[in-house]
Amino acid sequence: MATNMRGLTQFIADIRGARVRDLEEKRINKEMANIRKKFKDGNLDGYQKKKYVAKVLYTYILGYKVDVGHMEAVNLISSPKYSEKQIGYLAVTLLMHENSDFLRLVVNSIRKDLDENNEINNCLALHAIANVGGTEMAEALCEDVHRLLISPTSQSMVKKKAALTLLRLYRKHPNVIPAAEWALRIVAIMDDADLGVVLCVTTLVMALAQDHLEPYAVCYQKAVDRLYRLVVEHEYSATYAYYKVPSPWLQVKLLRLLQYYPPSDDPAIRMTLHQVLETIMNNSAEQSRNMQHNNAQRAVLFEAIGLAIHLDTNSPLVSTAAVLLARFISSKETNVRYLGLDTLAHLAARADSLEAIKMHQAHVILSLRDRDISVRRRALDLLYSMCDVDNSEVIVGELLQYLKVADYALREELVLKIAVLTEKYASSYRWYVDTILELISAAGDHVGDEVWYRVVQIITNTKTCKHMPPGLSSNGSSYVLGEYGHLIANEEGHSPIEQLQVLHTKSQFCTAPTRSLLLTTYIKWVNVFPEIKPQLINIFERYRHVLDSELQQRACEFYALASRDPPFPPRESALLSRLNKKHGATEDKRTWVHGGRDVNQDREATKAKRSLTVDKSTNGSIPSAGVSDVLSSLQGLDLSGPSNVTSPTSMASTVLSKPTIAPHVVVGANVDRWFEKLTYSNEGVLYEDVQIQVGIKSRYQGHIGQLAVYMGNKVSAPLTSFTTKVDVDDPEALSITFAKMPATTVAPRSQSQQILHVECKKVFTTPPIMTISFLAGSHQTIALRLPVVLTKFIEPVILGPLDFFERWRIIGGPPREAQSVFPINLTSGGELDRDKQQHVISGQKFSILPDVDPSTNNFVGAGVLHTSIDGKVGCLLRLEPNRDAKLCRITVRSTSEDVVGEVKKLIQKPLSADAAS
Amino acid sequence: MIHSVIIFNTSGIPRLIKFYTPINQSAQAIVTKIYSLISIRSSGSCNFLEAPELDELLGPKYDIEKLRVVYRSYATLHFVFVVDSSESELGILDLIQVFVEALDRAFENVCELDLVFHFDEVHHILAEIIQGGLVLETNLDEIDSAVHQTASARKQSFAAANPLALGVGGVGPRSAGLQTPLGWLTGKLTGVGTR
Repeated sequence: MATNMRGLTQFIADIRGARVRDLEEKRINKEMANIRKKFKDGNLDGYQKKKYVAKVLYTYILGYKVDVGHMEAVNLISSPKYSEKQIGYLAVTLLMHENSDFLRLVVNSIRKDLDENNEINNCLALHAIANVGGTEMAEALCEDVHRLLISPTSQSMVKKKAALTLLRLYRKHPNVIPAAEWALRIVAIMDDADLGVVLCVTTLVMALAQDHLEPYAVCYQKAVDRLYRLVVEHEYSATYAYYKVPSPWLQVKLLRLLQYYPPSDDPAIRMTLHQVLETIMNNSAEQSRNMQHNNAQRAVLFEAIGLAIHLDTNSPLVSTAAVLLARFISSKETNVRYLGLDTLAHLAARADSLEAIKMHQAHVILSLRDRDISVRRRALDLLYSMCDVDNSEVIVGELLQYLKVADYALREELVLKIAVLTEKYASSYRWYVDTILELISAAGDHVGDEVWYRVVQIITNTKTCKHMPPGLSSNGSSYVLGEYGHLIANEEGHSPIEQLQVLHTKSQFCTAPTRSLLLTTYIKWVNVFPEIKPQLINIFERYRHVLDSELQQRACEFYALASRDPPFPPRESALLSRLNKKHGATEDKRTWVHGGRDVNQDREATKAKRSLTVDKSTNGSIPSAGVSDVLSSLQGLDLSGPSNVTSPTSMASTVLSKPTIAPHVVVGANVDRWFEKLTYSNEGVLYEDVQIQVGIKSRYQGHIGQLAVYMGNKVSAPLTSFTTKVDVDDPEALSITFAKMPATTVAPRSQSQQILHVECKKVFTTPPIMTISFLAGSHQTIALRLPVVLTKFIEPVILGPLDFFERWRIIGGPPREAQSVFPINLTSGGELDRDKQQHVISGQKFSILPDVDPSTNNFVGAGVLHTSIDGKVGCLLRLEPNRDAKLCRITVRSTSEDVVGEVKKLIQKPLSADAAS
Repeated sequence: MIHSVIIFNTSGIPRLIKFYTPINQSAQAIVTKIYSLISIRSSGSCNFLEAPELDELLGPKYDIEKLRVVYRSYATLHFVFVVDSSESELGILDLIQVFVEALDRAFENVCELDLVFHFDEVHHILAEIIQGGLVLETNLDEIDSAVHQTASARKQSFAAANPLALGVGGVGPRSAGLQTPLGWLTGKLTGVGTR
């Protein structure tokens, strides 16, 4: 601390005393020379090193370049004294950057501080990594950082820093972090009681989830749950209220995180989220006198509107938001006008219909003349986004008018936008050309090369350009313009060769940039006018020897091109790509860009493709799963995932990344027995271990069912971050939804209940997988098959013998029959286990028809399967057990081929000798 | 993400410079540029400024992502945050307020001179709010307690090594809280312990 270093205080006071900058520099140079000498002589103790490094730092903060003290900073880091260590770390974070060679020297000291059982040293080390960590540190330290994040003994302060540090390492070196594998463990921390920890972990999850949507999908429900608790239930520690708003930063982060996912299908989650958004919008109605309060409130509001737009642009929430926004753009507060325009642009970029926004068109145009340039910029962006076929002439006209008075800082972008809009919404060729010419004459130097090239490209490529206005070249505001006019008027008595001559004689007087444009025109002519190709090649040949290197290079390239005769490049716009430049790989991505809806949709498509390639690269670190794993992992494919791209590569990558997402189903004799029993009974235990018991009660009627899942905590500590999710193999066939958002904690020795709604839409064969995860010291995950099987949706029917046999005959043999013979066990008395057989058959919802089969040992049953999409399917059953052979024959006939095999399997399984029970 | 935090006074002299991403130019050039953009703006202006002029000054990746300057002025100081679009503008404005309130708690009525003589402490406080360009903590109590924890660790280690040093480790009012050297300086110069 400066207090304890009088030399430093004196130095600071001296610099402050310097009247002019020259004197200040002199004083600093003197000090730096002195320090350099001291460092060179060596033999300094810790205190002296600390003092000199502090002086170097102060010099740095004044904006001077410093080149001493790095080595001393490295030494100070390993000092046993905190005061010296702290200055050392400060110097490292200020003076070094991720590619600094000195960093290699500090990795070991940092690791030592990370491993130490002293959280303030842990924090120093984490902070340093988070500021300067690069690839090398990521490789060396990522495990240590992760350990500090998940360790139950880590204090909140350490957890927060570890979360953000891990994020830094991920950004610098994504491959070193097994993001998918760590997903559930990291997401679980979002339930931490400390909102500071939640904020940091949410930031981390946000970055990881962008590249790994599916593995982190459970964060969606965590985020919604947390928002609900903050916004609706006001459940937070008072110190996290910022001017009475519960941690606005956390709310903003959560709302932003939700925008990275497609809207949830789960009705419970949707409803909760709707309630949250509605509350936020209602809260904004009450304005307070306190500026900080209003600020915080609006920070949340604007993000909430962003999310509402993302969820559904046609929802009533968005209509409410549009009204609010319209009020904002005429607010007295500049910040509010700015954000109002910005958010309207977001709406314009997403909405199906621009009507609601167009109502305020006049006001937006007026905002182009706001007194603040920041607001003017936003107005420009909004006009750009809200432009469509109907208003394009008005908007482009306004923008052209504005161009003449606009700030220089705005002009280049303005020109680009006008050019894009003109091209996109050109109603007639003539309007396009007129507008572009006006644009060029108004903007002069601000017309970038991209615009030039594009105009030439379009004009040359347009076939219907026989009669261009003759005044075109005289309209020409610039010299080059005339030449493009010639280009178009190719029929009017000017043969290509004559044009070339005219053009080329003028070119002698042109500047180099114009000449290069000319060359560009020529190369296009090579294709358009093959008859003058030899002359053109000749020109290129000559330009290959000019002095201007830029021209020379261009000529060489064109010469090569022309000699090879490649096809003319198709119409592709460099303008749009200039406006929407791509993002870095692991940066936070924008959730939308300026421009119409189509632009944003294109963007989503490329984004999806990109995220897939990212997935594949990270898969390299995951050990490849066996064939059976791959097969079983196909379950839950494209379940709320972003991967609607169904190219072969996307399939492959989803399959590969799947094993880490759906954890392996728990196996074991007991688990199988519990499951099997529940296939033919309505209640019972599904799973049990030393910590937890999971029980099921169920009811079914027709194609609808309701499942109550009871989670019992058997230990004397709460199970926190309790998360349940259900994956269905084929959501088209079976839907399962939670009735409401489940609680995140199960109190000690108590039970929590979750209700699931089930609907059978089509025939399905794979039971849904329920994944339970929770924190009990460590993080645990249990994946269980839910006893939701096809026969649950059968309703028994009573048939007389005649009816039965007639139907049996009509259905006929395979493929609408499934039959097999399987071994059975006898009771302890050596008899057939008729009770069990009866239990299984009626438990699987078949009626047992007593008078049909002449043999009393046999069972005959009938039932109707109910599905909501495929309708009803009749099923008939015959079971013929043989006591002496200890065998049984089962025959199932049904009008649907898909059903017979599955029903036979389900009934046979609990009856056969190798049954689990 | 927050790309840089800069504090300068109304004459453009930097009081704190912290870059979370590498920069192309000298820090001085960036400060000068931002100062020239901000100092001409009136007090009723928007606190957000989009600055294409800054793009070339900041690192090469900045042309990928449009950066915004979010700033707030207090007395003689401008607090400037350069952020990208993943941050909420108003959220950053609130964060600046938190930073200032945290400084105020640590220095009791913070003023520019505190930032001058305790530049290291200012960095330590900032480190408890922002880490690596991301918001770490926004709760003033938490920030304050973290700052105190490191301050006392520092004092202990210093006192252990310098048992005879004045003003630390011993008993009495001088060891309590954060003593500004300005008190010591002005006390010497004028005999009045005012700031």
